[in-house]
Amino acid sequence: MSDRRVRFLTPVVTVVLAFVVGGLVVLASSANPLVVYRSMFVGAGFDWPFHLLPGNPFGVNEMIAASNLQSTLVEATPLVLTGLAVAFAFRCGMFNIGGQGQFWIGSTAAFLCAEHVAQNQLGTWLGVLAGMIAGMVWGAIPGFLKAFRGAHEVITTIMLNWIAIFMVSWLFGLNGPFVGEGNTQPISDTLPDTAWLPTIWGVLQPVTAGLFVALAAAFVYGVILRRTTLGFAVRAVGFNADAARYAGISVRRSMVLAMALSGGFAGLAGSVSVLGTDHRITSLDVFASQLGFTGIAVALLGRNTPLGVVLGALLFAALDAGARNLGGDFSPELARSLATVIQGTIILIVGGEQVVRWAFVRRRRALANEAAG
Amino acid sequence: MKTTRWWATALTTGALALTAAACGSSDTTSTPSTTGGAPATGASTGGAPTTAAKTFKVGLVTDIGGLNDKGFNMLANKGLEAAKADLGITGDVKESKAPTDYIPNLQGFAQNGYDMVIAVGFLMADSVAQVAKQYPNVKFAIIDSSAIDFKTNAPVAPNLTGLLFKEQEAGYLVGTLVGAIQKAGGMPGFKTGGSLASVGGIKIPPVDRYIAGFQAGAQAADPGVKMLNGYSGDFAAQAKCKELASSQIGKGADVVFQVAGGCGLGALQAAKDAGVWGIGVDTDQSAVNDHVIASATKKVDAAVHAAIKGLVDGSLGGGTDMVFGLAEDGVGIEGINAAVPQAAKDAVDAAIAAVKAGSVTIPSSVK
Repeated sequence: MSDRRVRFLTPVVTVVLAFVVGGLVVLASSANPLVVYRSMFVGAGFDWPFHLLPGNPFGVNEMIAASNLQSTLVEATPLVLTGLAVAFAFRCGMFNIGGQGQFWIGSTAAFLCAEHVAQNQLGTWLGVLAGMIAGMVWGAIPGFLKAFRGAHEVITTIMLNWIAIFMVSWLFGLNGPFVGEGNTQPISDTLPDTAWLPTIWGVLQPVTAGLFVALAAAFVYGVILRRTTLGFAVRAVGFNADAARYAGISVRRSMVLAMALSGGFAGLAGSVSVLGTDHRITSLDVFASQLGFTGIAVALLGRNTPLGVVLGALLFAALDAGARNLGGDFSPELARSLATVIQGTIILIVGGEQVVRWAFVRRRRALANEAAG
Repeated sequence: MKTTRWWATALTTGALALTAAACGSSDTTSTPSTTGGAPATGASTGGAPTTAAKTFKVGLVTDIGGLNDKGFNMLANKGLEAAKADLGITGDVKESKAPTDYIPNLQGFAQNGYDMVIAVGFLMADSVAQVAKQYPNVKFAIIDSSAIDFKTNAPVAPNLTGLLFKEQEAGYLVGTLVGAIQKAGGMPGFKTGGSLASVGGIKIPPVDRYIAGFQAGAQAADPGVKMLNGYSGDFAAQAKCKELASSQIGKGADVVFQVAGGCGLGALQAAKDAGVWGIGVDTDQSAVNDHVIASATKKVDAAVHAAIKGLVDGSLGGGTDMVFGLAEDGVGIEGINAAVPQAAKDAVDAAIAAVKAGSVTIPSSVK
């Protein structure tokens, strides 16, 4: 098989394998995996297109299917962006685990901008921008530390995650500076609906313009990597930093910029989440959120390509949304965990393969260095 | 080349979708006994025997803590189970993993013909208000959050009921207990002369109500006793509460009151390790270890059961709060250790009577 077909087939096989493992878990709990998967398929709203068929042969309840599909898309939106964040850093040979922190810094900047600059569409879109810039700054710090001080980005991004999480949870904690006046809960005021991202589809938790922001970001990601000198430099550094340096590429500059852009994607995820869906920030969500970390899995599954990341995010979101639909005899603890089991299996398989490849490249490089030096 | 790849991707995605659809349609004909439940089709009917009287359907949505939090999510489910057993209702639970789960979970129940949807935890306050307005014919209840908007003083939605607790009364009772022991010169294994400490989780109102009551009760029983208070910033990580409790014990704490959910189990462990007493919270935690002197309890299960009972007998309206204190048997003190001297137990009984009679004022916030 050609290399390209292998690259394309691996994620598909991975996902199928993960579903098989998840199916075994379902079997172990004495339920029928096919029924469960069908229920998840419906829960993710993927049956919605069938109501368009003449005569609605599958009897799809259009209203319920629509709200299910909406919640899948709503959940996929920030995942696309945190996935792109991780993927971009990967392309430069760096592992950005700081998506979670960059996400919250971005959320905070976006929220404060929409709340205090102008509570209208101008303020909202400025907020989207502010979130992205704040994420870039937060992401650039580990890039800078790596480029100029040699501090490993895995360590620094994890540390910066905690700094961000504790800072934001203090800002929006009980009696914190940005908690709504007179509010006895650790929660900010809810933004007025004039300052929300425009609604595209749905009522209660609708799909917003954030989805298009995410898709546009995926497009921009591809353009930067493929069509710009920066993208070329980033990829060159990712392939082999020494060779890139020898070729006259500034490795330090590429690293800082790659981490900044990576953080920008994660910050943007924070922007669209808070302005599109949550409309407020509470310290408890800050501790509980996993979007930045899930982005790692999405990037791995999507093989750091824009289309791959979009599809990966859609799959992860669909698993979560679909698991909500498991009820009845299916215990709620298992329902909630089944999506996690499948996601975890995907990460295990993809991650295992990537680690082997990474170690192999390192070793080859080390051998080459030995031979040269 | 590029186009080929796009094309191939689209094809496979389509194939995957078709496979899923195919296995979906083949299953519609069979009705397996162990159904994973497809409530979204609107055809599911719980599974309880249908009687002539209306069988009420109640849905419970947990917050991000999940059902196994050994705290209010678990207790709420216990209340639902109790109602299923004695009120003849059917019930289902959905767990939330992230804030984006709240609306779909609440709406999922409302869309599928449930009569009542219970949201566990104030984090869902916004979401439940939105969904309640969208589904005016469904009753909604929310635990630990008021149905009255604190700004406008008007009901959030006419079909939403808040279920609130007077945690300060439970805190007051355990404070009275240890204050009385402290004043009487201790008991076996109870060092005296030191301070009484509390380990809070995240500083949110229910946590602070417990602590404020604890301090007031201890001060009332033993005026001038020194109090220590700290927050771990966490409801889950036991190590954090253990560390905080250990440092309080190092500063001379004789008793540690944990108000931090799962995290606080670490505080109880620290108390046992240091040979001092711990106080449990929310549920009777005397089974955690043999150094738990008593627990301040909050009967979320009783509140959920009461709300469902209101639904069944038609007394549950909306737009108001149901507040559960000592008088309503919504909070209390449980699992008092056998070694506690009778005098201290008497002091607690006196405090219970005084609180029920309304003759003491207990603060609800920590100074």
